[in-house]
Amino acid sequence: MTNRERRNLRTGLLFILPWILGFAMFIAYPLGASVYFSLCDYSVLKPPVYVGSANYEELATDPVFWQSMGNTFFFAAIFLPLATALAIALALLLNTGVRGMTIYRTIFFLPSLTPMVALGILWMWMLNGEYGVVNHALNYLLRPFGVEAPTWLQSTTWAKPAIVLMSLWGVGYAVVIYLAALQDVPVQLYEAADLDGARWSSKIWHITLPLLSPAIFFNVVMGLITALQIFALPYVLTNGAGGPGRSTTFYTMYLYNCAFRYLRMGYACAMAWILFLIILGLTLIIHRASRRHVFYAGG
Amino acid sequence: MPAVDDAKSNRAFAGKRRTAASSLAIHVVLLCVSLLFLFPLAWMISTSLKPLDQTMRMPPEWLPDPIQWKNYVEAVHYIPFFTYARNTLIIAVLGTLGTVLSSAIVAYGFSRVEWKGRNTAFIVLLATMMVPFPVTMVPMYAVFRLLHWIGTYRPLWVPAWFGASAFNVFLLRQFFLTIPRDLSDAACIDGCSEVGIFWRVVAPLSRPALAVIALFHFLYCWNDFLGPLIYLINQDTFTLALGLQFYQSRQGGTPWNLLMAASTLVVTPIIALFFFTQRTFIQGITMSGLKG
Amino acid sequence: MRALQVLGLENSAYAGRALLAAGVALLLCGCQILIPQPQDEYVNGRIRITYWEKWTGFEGDAIKQVVNRFNEMQDRIYVDLITMSQIDQKALIAIAGGDPPDLVGLWSSGLPQFAEKRAVMPLAPFMERAGMRKEDFIQVFIDLNCYRGELYGLPTTPATMALHWNKRMFREAGLDPDRPPRTLAELDEMAARLTKYDAQGHLIQVGFSPGEPGWWPWAWGFWFGGELSNDNEITFDSPENLAAFRWIQSYTKRYGAAEMRRFQSGLSTNFASPQNAFFSEKVAMELQGVWTANFIHQYAPNLEWAAAPFPSAVPGMENVTIAECDCICIPVGTRHPDEAFEFMKFLCSQEGSEMLNMAQQKFTPLKKVSPAFIKNHPNEYIQLFIDLASSPHACHTPDLSIWFEYLDEIAAAFDLVRFGLDTPEHAVSQVQQRASVMWKRAEASIERREQAEGKATP
Repeated sequence: MTNRERRNLRTGLLFILPWILGFAMFIAYPLGASVYFSLCDYSVLKPPVYVGSANYEELATDPVFWQSMGNTFFFAAIFLPLATALAIALALLLNTGVRGMTIYRTIFFLPSLTPMVALGILWMWMLNGEYGVVNHALNYLLRPFGVEAPTWLQSTTWAKPAIVLMSLWGVGYAVVIYLAALQDVPVQLYEAADLDGARWSSKIWHITLPLLSPAIFFNVVMGLITALQIFALPYVLTNGAGGPGRSTTFYTMYLYNCAFRYLRMGYACAMAWILFLIILGLTLIIHRASRRHVFYAGG
Repeated sequence: MPAVDDAKSNRAFAGKRRTAASSLAIHVVLLCVSLLFLFPLAWMISTSLKPLDQTMRMPPEWLPDPIQWKNYVEAVHYIPFFTYARNTLIIAVLGTLGTVLSSAIVAYGFSRVEWKGRNTAFIVLLATMMVPFPVTMVPMYAVFRLLHWIGTYRPLWVPAWFGASAFNVFLLRQFFLTIPRDLSDAACIDGCSEVGIFWRVVAPLSRPALAVIALFHFLYCWNDFLGPLIYLINQDTFTLALGLQFYQSRQGGTPWNLLMAASTLVVTPIIALFFFTQRTFIQGITMSGLKG
Repeated sequence: MRALQVLGLENSAYAGRALLAAGVALLLCGCQILIPQPQDEYVNGRIRITYWEKWTGFEGDAIKQVVNRFNEMQDRIYVDLITMSQIDQKALIAIAGGDPPDLVGLWSSGLPQFAEKRAVMPLAPFMERAGMRKEDFIQVFIDLNCYRGELYGLPTTPATMALHWNKRMFREAGLDPDRPPRTLAELDEMAARLTKYDAQGHLIQVGFSPGEPGWWPWAWGFWFGGELSNDNEITFDSPENLAAFRWIQSYTKRYGAAEMRRFQSGLSTNFASPQNAFFSEKVAMELQGVWTANFIHQYAPNLEWAAAPFPSAVPGMENVTIAECDCICIPVGTRHPDEAFEFMKFLCSQEGSEMLNMAQQKFTPLKKVSPAFIKNHPNEYIQLFIDLASSPHACHTPDLSIWFEYLDEIAAAFDLVRFGLDTPEHAVSQVQQRASVMWKRAEASIERREQAEGKATP
């Protein structure tokens, strides 16, 4: 290493020292311990007993594990594209500079602020099959065609879409980030496009979206990490049961139940590290794809 | 840098002067979507003002009859509301200060200094977000127990001072990467040390991004339920999120109207916070945007 | 231009610094004043006992009453009552972490797990020293607190379940309002007469539905003479349990799966409200617990109702019920177990128990009850619930450490059959299969652990 490189290394490490210390004190041991626990029979109340790969082998044949994985991927696959499209669309709308923008922005961010316990109850209320407002409105549109609105949380087919719907309410965070990124698109580009007579849709496709792509990348990665770990909302809605008929048993919920309800912490740790590998893999894939599609304006 | 004003964004989107018709169209769409988003909150407030037997009436009714303002007074006495609010504030302020400071420092190290192994370390940082929390809960408890911190607030705010929030570090890093090199080079030529560059050049430019971090972390602390549940023991030390749980009884019947009143009270400070600070950070991150 | 900006912003950097300094100062002050103090072992010379309980609202007030009374009537011990939500999770972590409370209130269904892992103390020695006898309690509640024959907790607030029916709806349907169904077949027949449809063929009123309230999906087998397990194995796949699931399916077939789901989703999920299906007269008969009377008085005071034992499908098998209770236990690792037990003794004495259960509107787990308790009790059918508790057919959750896993399997099967998504035969055999796997695994785990512990002890 050259002198300069050595100096930079020292400086870099010094700057991230708080994180290194924090990692050593608070994070390393729990992470390492959970790797060890995944190879053990550990009930929390008793010391762990080493069992090798037994947990992982059992997972391979556990139907509930596979069902929870399927449920989670289903959720992520539907939620992520919808959330991204919705967040970008909202950000574009909120960037048009019409009056009252600050109020609109606050309103769109509101659902992300509401405590989960209130949100859960509100949603159960609104999605009630008979009297919920959602079905009230839907039936208005559907009954003329002889179709009935679904019974949402009571139905094994519609419970997951219901959760997707509820989760979409929380796009406020992503909107804020997109909004900020949008502010920075150079006006000259739009003006040049106007000179060429471009329509607004091609302006969005060829100017806005590419310049927004780093923000999209950030939000998609974060969205993936959180979507695959979805826990709080379905837990509150089904009181941890993941019903009906296990249709809303998501990966982290099953993991949590294994750890704290069935006292099989070792098994849960095995699940955790499998999920970790999946998320890591997907993130790296997105990162690779980003090289082609994400445009860094550079500084 | 000129402050962003709405006129700029006007032109940025439409390119030419907008007609009254398209303005109206946008307003209509925004209003419709706003109504959709306001729904949960509106229902929350509506329920909070109802007498208990009207709360879960089917079909649902929007207007309480009569409007029961005293629900709020009752809600505040059902649990030690203000004590819990104070406790939550303490944790949130201490945590937010720590997060802003340490995330900035750590993010700087990951973005403005070129050093070997930087990318690997960054991936490790990201990776810590990929492990579901239930499996780290028990060992973390063991760590804090060793430090004799169980029952105190320390497990809730001290880790924030050590860059524990990978999300914030990631976000700030993205932002720092977009600040032009020439600025730090200029300062370097003036004889600034790296710390100097950080303190005098990058940090002041990032004030708005830091504001976003502060807001997000404050919000997180305000609503955090699991952390306080596990680490706090003495009832006087509980937080608002824990307090909200007390309205929910297993078989005793939940006073929904009081719960909604309490929830409304819990949400209001955050709404106010967001409303008044949004200008700062939307303006600010503006300066270079979130480019890679 | 950029340099100017940098310079211009310099000034605000000072403001930033000042803010930082203030923050650090606040921090240092905060460290001193605002951090909660660790708990003192002694309060005014009295030994402090921490007692974690789950009850809030009026149930919480009830236990507070008892705790205050105990603290008043002696001056050696001070019981510090702390209300905890998610009490099983919190207790688990605290016990595992080695700083548990001195007393914890668990649910009877969760006790076997803690007992099997020896996380709570066996109470036989305490009982002996205090001169208390198991026989003083109603047998089923002692059974609920035992694991493999050893007593690990004492019952605090018991409950049994019975058939509740709507007299007005009976009258309307031409049935004798004071005569409940005596067999399950009768119940099915009466339910048919109590069911009403509207002009579009939608259900508007239902005589009975196994899913309402659907709180005990695991227990229906009992009314058919079935068992969940015996000493050696899971016995879910038995003709009796199968019959129970077929009976559940019969209701789905009767109403039609889609229609039933629609009707079910229109029912309020909020038990404690006037919109409760039974209180709002949408359902004529249901299986419910001793606490129901209290809620009827509060939310549907004009409801004409009565209670009787829920009929069984086996001729001659009467007074079948589900018994459950809240328990109080002493976690392993506490500093003052003897003082903790002294409070338990008071809580489970006639005075303490009657005080607690009168306020919670349940009955006491003790065999001996003062006549005044029954006379003044707000639940007009309290004697029925007490009698049911002593019935030989009072069934309860098995003392299996894998109970929650087993329960979740049964609940999933119940949902699938109820929604017409699976046949009773397949669902039942699936549960049997998976639960047997769980059983074997748990046995292997215990063996492994005992070996490991055997090696460890010198």
